[in-house]
Amino acid sequence: MEKLHAVGQSAVRVDGKEKVSGAALFTDDLEFGPDLLYAEIVEGPHAHAMITKIDTSEAEKVPGVLCVVTGRDFPYNFGLYMKDRFIFAQDRVRFFGEQIAAVVARSPAAAKKAARLVRVSYKPLPKILNPLDAIEGDASLIHPGLKSYEHVPWFFPQPDTNIAHHRKIRKGDVEKGFAEADHVLDDTYEVPRYAHCAIEYHAAVAKYDHSGRLTVWASSQSPHTQRNLFANALAPMGIRHNDVRVIAPHVGGGFGSKAGVTMEILAAAIATRVKGHPVKVMWNREREFYNTYQRLGVVARLRLGVKKDGRITALHHELYWDAGAYVEYGANVVNAVGLSAIGPYRVENASIDSYCIYTNLPPGGPYRGFGYSEFLFGLESHMERIARHLGIDPVEIRRRNAIKAGDLTAYGAKMNPSGLMQAIDAVAKEIRWDEPVLPGNDEEAVGKGFSLFWKAPAMPPNTSSSCFLKFNEDASINILVSGMDIGQGFLTVMAQIASEVLTVPLSKIRTENPDTDRNPYEWQTVASHVTWGCGNAVKLAAQDARNQVLDLVSRTQNLPKDTLYLAEGSVRCVTKPSFRMALEDFVIHGIQMPDGTFRGGPIMGRGVFMPEYATTKADPETSQGGHPNVHYTVGAAAAIVAVDKKTGKVKVRKIVEAVDCGKAINPDLVRGQITGGILQGISTVLYEEMKFDHRGKMLNPNFTDYKIPTSLDLPDEVVPIIIEVAEPDGPYGARGMGEHTMIPVAPMIANAIDDALGLRIKTMPITAEKICLALLKKNEVR
Amino acid sequence: MAIPYEFHYEKPLTLQAALELLDKHGENSRLLAGGTDVANEIRMGFRVPGLLIDIKGLEELKAIRVTDGALHIGALVGFDTIRASKPIRDHCHILYEAAGLVASPGVRNRATMVGNICSAVACMDSAAPLLVHDALVHCRSLGGERVVPVAKWFVDNRKTCIGGRELVTHVSIPLQEVKCAGAYQKMMRYTGEDLAAANVGVLRFADGRCHVAFGSVGPIPKRSPRLEKHFLEHGVNPESIVRAREMLEKLIKPISDVRASKEYRMHMAGVMLERALIAAGERLKMPRVIAGKE
Repeated sequence: MEKLHAVGQSAVRVDGKEKVSGAALFTDDLEFGPDLLYAEIVEGPHAHAMITKIDTSEAEKVPGVLCVVTGRDFPYNFGLYMKDRFIFAQDRVRFFGEQIAAVVARSPAAAKKAARLVRVSYKPLPKILNPLDAIEGDASLIHPGLKSYEHVPWFFPQPDTNIAHHRKIRKGDVEKGFAEADHVLDDTYEVPRYAHCAIEYHAAVAKYDHSGRLTVWASSQSPHTQRNLFANALAPMGIRHNDVRVIAPHVGGGFGSKAGVTMEILAAAIATRVKGHPVKVMWNREREFYNTYQRLGVVARLRLGVKKDGRITALHHELYWDAGAYVEYGANVVNAVGLSAIGPYRVENASIDSYCIYTNLPPGGPYRGFGYSEFLFGLESHMERIARHLGIDPVEIRRRNAIKAGDLTAYGAKMNPSGLMQAIDAVAKEIRWDEPVLPGNDEEAVGKGFSLFWKAPAMPPNTSSSCFLKFNEDASINILVSGMDIGQGFLTVMAQIASEVLTVPLSKIRTENPDTDRNPYEWQTVASHVTWGCGNAVKLAAQDARNQVLDLVSRTQNLPKDTLYLAEGSVRCVTKPSFRMALEDFVIHGIQMPDGTFRGGPIMGRGVFMPEYATTKADPETSQGGHPNVHYTVGAAAAIVAVDKKTGKVKVRKIVEAVDCGKAINPDLVRGQITGGILQGISTVLYEEMKFDHRGKMLNPNFTDYKIPTSLDLPDEVVPIIIEVAEPDGPYGARGMGEHTMIPVAPMIANAIDDALGLRIKTMPITAEKICLALLKKNEVR
Repeated sequence: MAIPYEFHYEKPLTLQAALELLDKHGENSRLLAGGTDVANEIRMGFRVPGLLIDIKGLEELKAIRVTDGALHIGALVGFDTIRASKPIRDHCHILYEAAGLVASPGVRNRATMVGNICSAVACMDSAAPLLVHDALVHCRSLGGERVVPVAKWFVDNRKTCIGGRELVTHVSIPLQEVKCAGAYQKMMRYTGEDLAAANVGVLRFADGRCHVAFGSVGPIPKRSPRLEKHFLEHGVNPESIVRAREMLEKLIKPISDVRASKEYRMHMAGVMLERALIAAGERLKMPRVIAGKE
């Protein structure tokens, strides 16, 4: 194995000093001078209604107001995977709080004041707030135009229904599998919607100048995809891709909410109406909740057949997704789960039906875990219940069924190499699975829970990443990529990879946030794919630069290229130990020849990575035959909880989680992701709960009543464990792991609570109130 | 944070000047102390005044003093100041305990206790401690001083008996003659900051008396004379606590809302009552007096 000097080190973040010192600028920090305008959004107070009239006359009279724009100004639809979304509502609103119009003014106060004067008349329509209601025969249609929407070829909308996509898996013989089972468990699990709760609000500033150039500054996970969607949506106005420039400053948290395009398109569109002025659209905490994306809710019916020894014989998984009013991104969550809802198990007979269902709730979209947290809540609860029923240890039943390299996935492709078994063993050992836990006092019950997890990046098969790498005079390096550092440490890891190849120290490498005019293409920072995908592009770019360096030295020094190598920032030669040429002596200015002329010039590397084996082409009735997912990342986790039997309050004493990241390019950052993911998972299972009233209005779009943990709510102990079984096509063997870390948390906490109290809760969240009322019902508490 | 509503702003530097402004503008004005409620209400457009009178400059309202047999807490005393105050820890430990559970450190740094009882939101943390200590609210207007027992201060959710031309200068808490110890319990959705879905304050005396107050289980926080009589007659013991929890069903009227169901609130009120009684009993046994005089 090659000896590594930069990869595998817990390097300090390259953006750390900038962020700690306050030098880092976020979108709202940017200064745009006195021409800056502010847009305030007018929202609809109905979950489903026709817009009959919009009267902007009073709003336009407010001093400081430049204009009011509505859907009539922008009759365009857009979307990432399906074009079902509109810049402003057109003839109807489909969720409570949807944008109807915007007031553009010289001050935020004037814009807000005028926005309250825009009069909109509505004719209410029947609203649907539950996915099961939406698929009843007499349900009204939320998108009568569904059959006309453009979409990616791997979606299968059902015309004249509220089903925007149906992903089907048919593998093996499910009937036979259930017939062979000694035990079949059939049950339904419900996971409601969740919010991302990034601390920085969405913010976008756009300027359309008099030359026709559209520049957008946005807090974004997806600058290039935003450019693509802006250009496509505004194409009828004559805007082309090279007219659009997206500049992405630092991002204060994304978790999926800043992927694709949501509110940013408002700034881009509005700017075209006030040429020459930058226009700012700033979201607030309330809108963060109800008008970006929410995590989709799901009702999952799960039937699992096993032999007496716990081996799975058949699985049937029906998932009814509450995908909300627009599913341009969320439908791919449904698709991803449809492909993967067997979990990290060897299942020879499987049928999966994953339905993407329109409802009159806010649009569902990407959220850390991309559907896997949702379906694994049921599946991993099911595994634990089956183990207990059969008298098999819950860890052992997972060992017996765990998927191995070469086993077939649900869609028939081979499973990639994985350290799932090592992860199971490491977690069981660290949590002391075989030892009893004791309550701290009479009012406490304690229990342990286990869960496996897996997830694949959900991406189009032609998703690509690219990199330019430039040397400077002193052999310092600028890496140009378009992935986003959203806290995970992306920029640091890219610098480490380049440092590894070029032997230049990290202190001499700069990687910064992108500008789509200057930085090469990256699809999006989503799917936990950038370490893998963009890491490959950076490695290729660095190798390209190294190749140029060695070529130049070879041809000027008359040394065979295959004897040359880089070490500590110099070119060395295996056959001539005394030979040494420092990079800073020639990477810009070239190498001088005896006659005084020069050879070479600036060294610039280029790297492009696309997984050329991926394809979504498959039989839509079975999903067999394609290779839609590049690989799965797997792991295991366990928790010990203590429950206050009188109040239902859960205290997490210890959590252990092992993830097979292939290669930890920066182990501290990997451990940080594990810890952060665990906390986010704890939050979703124990505290967070969205409440909607009968009108479809969210009742708690604030941190007063939508709870995310404070430092006082952390587990007593968190133990992250790194497993490294290399991914064959990953940079140094690395594969993604950022999202995965929260996936096992909800089921393992549910399992631990069941272990403690003998109480199985099948709906999330598992709040203290839910536990306590269930115990009261069982008369087990006073 | 853009506030699209317009209002005037004055910052008087003497109590007299503040009272004159209040006298002139009355109901059309609002007082700004910590501002943690007022700023939100103005931002949301709930209660936008014609004139905002900022009283943060009134030095005489910032004191915590022990004189004349009472602990006096000025209108500008914030919750973090309460947490740092030895006289409050010594003489009204339950208030010290409750202050530590108000919102988050950032809010405690600005929010005042008097502001809390003037906003009079049913879930406030200050009320139960003040109720069990029979605190007095001191109001001033150009017409003079008016003293209101805290038990009569709250009229309805978000409504007190303060006059439109009055401001609260301070709250006084009588020092107890008999050894006593209190305990506060707050129902929270998690350990981090939260508004009380219900709360209970208990003050137990060495002579067997027991004061009990509840918050967030009705429109206003209240003492419970029935329970106090019950404990006086039967003492505080496992049996009397069981009986008290049965009585609770008729004594409080929790509602269901986004924070909790009425069933859970009712159950938790009972659990918290029990735990507060036990905690106060333990504290009462400690040699050092936690509240009141030796």
